[in-house]
Parts: sequence; C-alpha cells; structure tokens
Amino acid sequence: MSPAPLLRKFLIAVGWSGLGLVAIAVVLSDFLARAPAGAGHVGPILTPPSSLFPFGTDQLGRDILSETLHALNVTVIHALPAAFLAIAAGSVFGFVAARLPAPIRLPTRWAMGVFAAVPSLLLAILLIGLTNRDYAAAAAGLAAAPLAFVRVFDRARVSANSAHAAYARATGIAPSALLRRDLAYEVRDALLVTAARAFAAVTIILSTVSFLGFGAVPPHRDFGLMIAAAKPVYVQAWWTASFPVLSLLVLVLLARLAAGLDEGERA
Amino acid sequence: MWRFALRESGRFVLGLFGALLMAAAIASLTSSSHGLIADLAAIVTRLFAFLRLDFGASAISGADAAQELAAHAPVTLTLIFLGLALAIVLGAPFGLLLSSAPVRRATAPVIQVVSAAPVFCAGLALAFVARKFLGWAPGNGEFPPVQQVLHPDQSALRLVMMPALTVGLAGMAAIQVALRRSASEAQGEPFREGLRRLGLSALEIDRAYVAPMVFAGLFQSFGEVVAALLSAAVVSEWVFKCPGAADLFVKSVALHDWNVAALILFFFASIVLFANFFGRLVSEAIVSVGRSA
Amino acid sequence: MTALLEIDDLRVVRPDTALPVLDRFSLTLNPGETVVMLGDADSGKDIVLCFLDGLSARGDEFSGTIRFNEGDAKQAARKPRPPFTVAYLPGTASRPLNPRISAVSQLARVIARKLECPRGAALAEFRGALARLAGAPSFELLDAPPERLDDVSLTWALLAAACATAPALMLCDHPFLDLSPSVAHTLTDALLAEQKRLNFAILYAARGPQSALRLGARTLVLRQGRIVEENDAAHLLGGQTHAYTQALFKALPQPVVDKPQRSSARGEPLLQVQGLGLNTPLKKAVRAKDALSFELRRGASLALVGEDGSGRRALMRAVLGLERKPGRILFDAVDLNLLSEAMTARLRRRVAFVSSNDDALDPRMTIWDTVDEPLRAHLQLSRDLTAGYRDAALKRVGLASYDGRRTVASLSPFDRRRLMVARAIVSAPLLVVVDEPLRGLDAVAQTTTCDLLMDFRAEQQSAFLVITSDFAVAQALADEAMVFEGGRVVERGQIRNLLANPKESATKALVEAAAIRPLSQAPGAV
Repeated sequence: MSPAPLLRKFLIAVGWSGLGLVAIAVVLSDFLARAPAGAGHVGPILTPPSSLFPFGTDQLGRDILSETLHALNVTVIHALPAAFLAIAAGSVFGFVAARLPAPIRLPTRWAMGVFAAVPSLLLAILLIGLTNRDYAAAAAGLAAAPLAFVRVFDRARVSANSAHAAYARATGIAPSALLRRDLAYEVRDALLVTAARAFAAVTIILSTVSFLGFGAVPPHRDFGLMIAAAKPVYVQAWWTASFPVLSLLVLVLLARLAAGLDEGERA
Repeated sequence: MWRFALRESGRFVLGLFGALLMAAAIASLTSSSHGLIADLAAIVTRLFAFLRLDFGASAISGADAAQELAAHAPVTLTLIFLGLALAIVLGAPFGLLLSSAPVRRATAPVIQVVSAAPVFCAGLALAFVARKFLGWAPGNGEFPPVQQVLHPDQSALRLVMMPALTVGLAGMAAIQVALRRSASEAQGEPFREGLRRLGLSALEIDRAYVAPMVFAGLFQSFGEVVAALLSAAVVSEWVFKCPGAADLFVKSVALHDWNVAALILFFFASIVLFANFFGRLVSEAIVSVGRSA
Repeated sequence: MTALLEIDDLRVVRPDTALPVLDRFSLTLNPGETVVMLGDADSGKDIVLCFLDGLSARGDEFSGTIRFNEGDAKQAARKPRPPFTVAYLPGTASRPLNPRISAVSQLARVIARKLECPRGAALAEFRGALARLAGAPSFELLDAPPERLDDVSLTWALLAAACATAPALMLCDHPFLDLSPSVAHTLTDALLAEQKRLNFAILYAARGPQSALRLGARTLVLRQGRIVEENDAAHLLGGQTHAYTQALFKALPQPVVDKPQRSSARGEPLLQVQGLGLNTPLKKAVRAKDALSFELRRGASLALVGEDGSGRRALMRAVLGLERKPGRILFDAVDLNLLSEAMTARLRRRVAFVSSNDDALDPRMTIWDTVDEPLRAHLQLSRDLTAGYRDAALKRVGLASYDGRRTVASLSPFDRRRLMVARAIVSAPLLVVVDEPLRGLDAVAQTTTCDLLMDFRAEQQSAFLVITSDFAVAQALADEAMVFEGGRVVERGQIRNLLANPKESATKALVEAAAIRPLSQAPGAV
C-alpha cells in the first residue's frame, strides 16, 4: 500500500518538479558548467571540495561540478529515448498482445517470458555486444521492455476476463471498442507513472552498463562512466565518486517519486 | 496441488526450451551470416548440438565452453547463495517488520531512497569501507574455493565478504519490495475485520492467515529476487575482481566469444526460471496447506 | 426476569463528525428475546453491534451506561465486555472468512477461542451444531475454501459456528442479506429453532422489514443514529407512525393475487425458443421431457424465478447466444445457430442489462461515458450528439445532479444500479435483461429501483426478461413466469395464477417465501 493519498500526491509533485528542474539543468548544462565536457587541467588535480571547486577536481584536474552537469546531460539524453523504447516495446506491446487471438498471444507471452527471465542488465550487455556502444540507449530500452511487457500483459488479461468486460461483451460492445476504452484509461491513469518508472529503470541500466564499460563513449561521459573513471582514486579522494553517485541517486529517486512510490516496484 | 505442479513443470520446461533457443541463436553468431534461411538453419543446428550437450568451444581460450563455465560458475553460485542467505537472514525479518501497516506507510519513501541506489554504487561504497576503514587490500582476481568459504579464515573472509554483501544488499532490496507488495495485498483483505468480529485476536489472525499469505507472496516473487541477485553478481564480480561466470559473461560479450556468452546466458536464465518454478510451487504449497481442515 | 443487558442513553461521537453517530440509544434485552434494529447503512446499527462485540473504532467517544445481568450499571466509555459468551453472525456479503483457507478450519479456530477448548473439541462442537441444523450441508462439503462454496452453504457454516459456541447473546449482522427469500426463510427458521433450544438473545441488524416480520420480533427503527420508532413487527406491519418507517414498509415487496395485470398479448415475437436443452451437451439430441419451448413478444415481460443454480442464468446465456446449447433460438426472427460469434455480438447491441453485480460496470469509466457508450460504440455518434440523450436518461434515474466526470468506482451500489438503468434507457433496447435488480440494496433504494424499472418498462416498450428468486419482484416487473429447479422448468404461467394456485413444491416454496404471511393464512390476498 502506498502512503496516504495526500502524502502520495505531494511526493509525486515533488518528483515531477524535481524532474522539471533536471530538465532545465540539462538544457542549460553548457551554460551552467564552468568548463566544457572533458576539459582537463581546469584546476589542480584531486582538489577536495572548496569554494572555488564546490565538488572538487579529479585526477585529470577536471572540475567535478562541471563534469557532473555534463554527465547529467548525457545520462538524460540517452535515457529519454531508451525509456520511450521500453514503453513502446514493453507496455504498449504488452497491452496490444494481450488482446490478440490465442495462437499469436500465447507464443508471444512465452517468448517475452523467456526474455524476462534474463536479468535486464545482462540483456542490455548482450544487445550492446551484438551491436555497438552507440546503440546503448536502444539496448537499455529493449532490455527493460520484457519485464514491462509481462506486467502489462498479465494485468490486461485479468482485465479482459473481468466482470465489466463480460458485461460489455454481453451488451454487444465490440472488442475494438473495449480496446479503445482500455487504452484511453491506461493513458489517462498510467502513462505518466509508466513513463517515470521506465525512465528510472533505464537510467539504472544505462549507468551500470557504462560503469562496466559498455555504455557511453568518452568524452561524452555519463554518470556510470564518470564513476568508473573515479574507481582508481576514490578511496583517497572520496569526492571524485560521491558527487556523481549522489546525483545519480537523486535522479533515479525523483523518477521513482514521480511514479508514485508504487509498492509493486521492482528494485 | 498435483495439477498445479504439473502445469508449472510444463511452463518450466517450455521456458528452458525458450532459453535454449535463445542461446542457440546467440551461439550461431560465431558463423557468418549467409541470409535468413541459412541463419535459421544455423540456429537449428546449434539447438540440436546443445541438446547433445555440445556447447562449442571458446573463441578466446579454445577450451570447451562448458568447461569454461564449470570453472567459473562456482564463484558466482557461491556469491548468489551467500547473498541469498544474507538477504533472507537479515532482509526477511527486517522486511516483515517494515511491512506492518502503520510502519509500511511511513517507511515507503525511505525504502524507495534505498532501492533507488544502483548496485554498483553500493558495491563501491562497500569497497570504500573495506579499504578505508578495515584496511583490506583490493581483490586481485582470487576467490577462495567453496570449502574454504564454508570455513573461512581471515584471508578468505576478506575476499568473500564485501562481494557477498553487495549481492546480499540487492537481494535484501528485492525481498523488501516483494514483502511489502504481498503485505499491502493482505492488508486490504476484508477477512481481517471479519475474523476479528467473529472473535479472533489480531495477532492470531496475522499469525495464522496473514503471515502465510505474505510468505506465499514472497515466494511468488522468488524469481525476481534471484534475478536481482544475478544482476548484482555481475557488478560485484567486476568491482571486486572475482573470477566468476558473470564476469566471464561480460568479458565474453566484449570479446565476441559467443559460444561462452550463450552458454552463460542460458545458465543464468535457467537459474531464474527454476527460481520462478520453485517459488510458485512453494507458494502454492503454503496456500494449499489450509485448504482443508 | 433479569434482563441480559440494559443499555441506557448510549451516545457515540466520532472525532471527524459534528453530530453524534448514535444518540439516546436505549435497549433492554432479555434472555431468549429477539430485537431487530431496522435502518439503512448509516443508521447506527453497526456501532451498537461493534460496541457489544468489543470492537469499536478508535477515537469514538462513548457516553451512557450499560448493565449486564444483575450487575451494576457501568459507564459505556469504559467499553465493558459482557460477562457471557457473545456470538457474531455476519452475512457472506461482508466476506468475513479468508477465501483460500477451509471454512471449517477457520470456524473451528473461532469456536476454540470462544470456548477455550482444543481444536479437536471445537471441530466436534461444530460438527454437532451442523447436524442439529435442519437443511444444513454436510461437514465434508464445508471443508473447502470459501471461494469454492456458494453463499448459502457458507451462511449455514457461519450459523452453525455461532450456535456451537452456545452463546447467551447472538449479534446478527445482516446474516441473510442477498439470499433468496425462501433460503432466508429456511435459515431464519433454523436460527429460531436454535434460539429456542439454547435460549440465547438475538440482536438482529436488518435493512428491510422482511427480516423483522419473519422473526416476529420487537423492532427498533433507527435513522441517523436515533430510534425513530419502536414496536412489535406485527403492529408495525399494520401501521407506522414515523415517515421513515412508512417509507421502509412501503418498500416491502408483497405479491398480490388479484393485482391487475398488463396484457401479455403484445407485438411480434421477439424471442422464440424451440426445443432447447439446457442440460443436454451441444452435439446430442434433446429428449422430449427436457426440451424447453416458449415465446417472448415485444413489450412483454417474462420472469425466470428460482434459486441460485436452478438454471435461470443458463437459459439467459443460451437465448443471448453467450453459450451454445442444442435447440433452436430465434432472436428478432434471426436463428442464432446460423450466426457467427461476431454477428451474434452485433445482435446483442439491442440487449440491455441491469445486474446486481456491482462489478459489472467498468470502475474507471465516468458517469457520462458509461451512459453514452452504447450510442458512441454502436452508432458512432459524437459526444455532442449523445449529450442530450445521456442527460435525459440521467435525469430520469435521478443522477442528473451528479458530476458526470465522477468515476463509477466512487459510486454506491444503488447509484451503480441506477446508472445501469440509465445506460439501458439510452440504448433503446429490444430486450432488457434484469438480473436480481434489488439484491444488496436497502429498503428505500429497492423501492426506487423497482419504480425506475417499472417506469422504464411502461415507457420504453422493451421486452423484459427478469431473473429473480423473489415472486414479489417477478410480479412487479413481469406478467408471466417460469419456475426453475435443478436446471429444468417445473411450472410456468401467468404470475397471478402461480400465486393463487402453485402446483409444484418448488413454486409453493418460492411463493410462500415471498409472502409475509404463509399462504394458508392468507385471506384473499397472499
């Protein structure tokens, strides 16, 4: 059960407001950052946070605040189309597939169930390996799709067998009209939630594959690549990893809040 | 119950076949493409080879793909089992505590904050703690054998603890989500008030009727928990340089060693499918215990 | 005689309400006595039951006193527990048991807790109580999860469990609501028999006066937390003082033998059924004694009367093409056997449903969307064009003042029932299927719904197929009836003839259950 309705609405508002601020930061990242992406020797190497460099500098003298803003830009720019693909290939496809005739519906559900049995991260790594790192966003979207498909498909089958669906069929409402009705209410009730949830999922996948070396290509570093680059030095210089990690956490959390803290959320 | 078991067995076998087909499709990439028909034929050939337990050879080492998996799988399986044990021992009681009604609402945002953290961030945080505060040197590709893990000395503990904890944290988060989901479903059931009014105490109702529902719901989601553990194992082996199957998978994909990658993917998918199968059976067994007096 | 309990001036105030939810409630209940609390959902009956059961809501403030047996009067604010066994008998509509665990197992646990005995002894008590109830199902049948039991069996189980605890007081919380009149009659007789044997008092919460009249009990009429009238049920039947009581008793359905009847000779045949075998597999020949043939003309109304599971709905599904059965069915002169599934679905566009199933309407839809969907889906009319029809229909059913953008999920069962009628009005159907239209509604809502359906029938000239277990409802909405039992039609004819002279035992039982006085005692009217 989610928190009480008022608290839930407040948290959703906080989530979407935060994502709005993120969007502004993404658009203005080049303006807000004091240095271009990947620009080294902006300051002394491995400087702790100070008034001059609020997030410190890394082992190449890059301003971490600027790099964080650029990484935010890259992460969001990649995550948006990935989320869109996850929704299209997952939720929308699942919604439609649930209403297809059984000879098509059942094998489709079986195949997507097999893909859903593979952890999304491994699926994304595989897809990137089959193509190349330029397609990381598409791979992340497709990797997140099977789980979304299964969730929406199973929910739609329950709805298709519900009392109100039987009542509608008994009064001659055509399957196409039922489909339009269900689609309208899915869009009205679940579109924003689905979009926010998909965004959170693909952001985690994308940053993880980048951390493992399969994602973003330098100099266009996202959070994953930034954190991976900090790995050799972060024990001595905690700021090199902490601020990108915190930023990534906040981004995912805002998306989760915007999705309404659904208890059914898979970690 | 028998009918259910039979049905679930059928689903499991179908799932395994699907995973085998997927692995055959990936492994067929070792041969170059000569058109759609030829590609399909290559996939079918590979599928039959897999059914004969012929998984091909590694393009990198030249060794049998099955041998490569056999050499690396124990590390991954050890991490998963340790992670699962930690998740159950620590996560389940904590999860039950946090899933009771008034606490659940209050802690929902906190749980979301915790579960928003990607696994690799948790892994890095643990590695930081190990090196900074415990003085443990980073891993160098070693992992103690299973027997040593069961009776670990200090060196073995140093090599195993942090990776296992990373995997365990992911498992705990997954168990949290599953417990909260099934607890919220049980919370909304009208029989709780009905049985109270009939004369049972709230504690008795929770113990006799709600707890089994919650545990049944947890086992329904066992496949999701195992999938989360596997994902965490990939990251954990990478961060802590453990020579496991997940790490081998990442390297195989990077180096386009498709025979090995396909076999490992099939192996992992089988684990998740089995976890789904096992979890559903246990869930149904829990529910069916009370079906007759 | 020492009173079992005496409640004096009980008052309950909730933290979020300005007015008390129960005020000046006084009650004296003697051992072996029955008192009925009659009123709608917010009348305060539930608060009294919860108070006596020791399960009042947190935050409720109580004042007044209560005395048990010969004890001292205690402050109600302390929520004193009765020093005797209190049993609670709920209705199945409230879903009081875990649907997946054996009903026997759960009820045995309740009995064990009440009697403070081991589980084995509790099971034995339950078995014994079940054996004493005439007409109850077997122990083995009830040893199944409630989701696999019908409402009647489950009610027997709940009654047996309540009696097994040998209570001094039984709190009956609408126990037989939503059951057919004849089944409720049988269960009431069983309850009274056990009361006589064990001498327990009954405090019975009811929505309609039928229960009070069946029990022949002292009746307290409650409205908005206050007793507005109090008298014996028989006296109240003769005349009521308060307007609210009058409204409740006006809703009392009463089959009348000599009620003027509409002519059943209407227009062209709408539905013709020839040789239908309800119990015959599809590819087999129908035996002569199982073959069902009848005709329903345009504007006429036919009631299918029987208990749940008697075959009424099977017939309904067959004539609408929802389930194929051997035989010939002509709907609007079209042979359904010759149509594909898609064509049969198109034919059903001229059918409207009013069902007692609260889940029949899509909870996500708005009021406006629900009403005008038939016009938009079947005729592809735009929302602007449908608005006039929609608003007129909503006005006719009394929902015009509601915000049309409210979802069905936010509506009460009564509002949903009216919404179905509005949707039926808009679709201008050839046939209206009405399935237990008054089930689950309180007394005033039943009157309103019945009036709406009668007006609809009078104005719209649609044919009606009425599925009910209550002959009074059948008479209100139909001219002819077929009585079902065990999947077969056992008797049929004009309703007034069936009421005056029922031949079959099934018909007699249904007629007697609907009448307030037994048939044998009826002077002229039933």
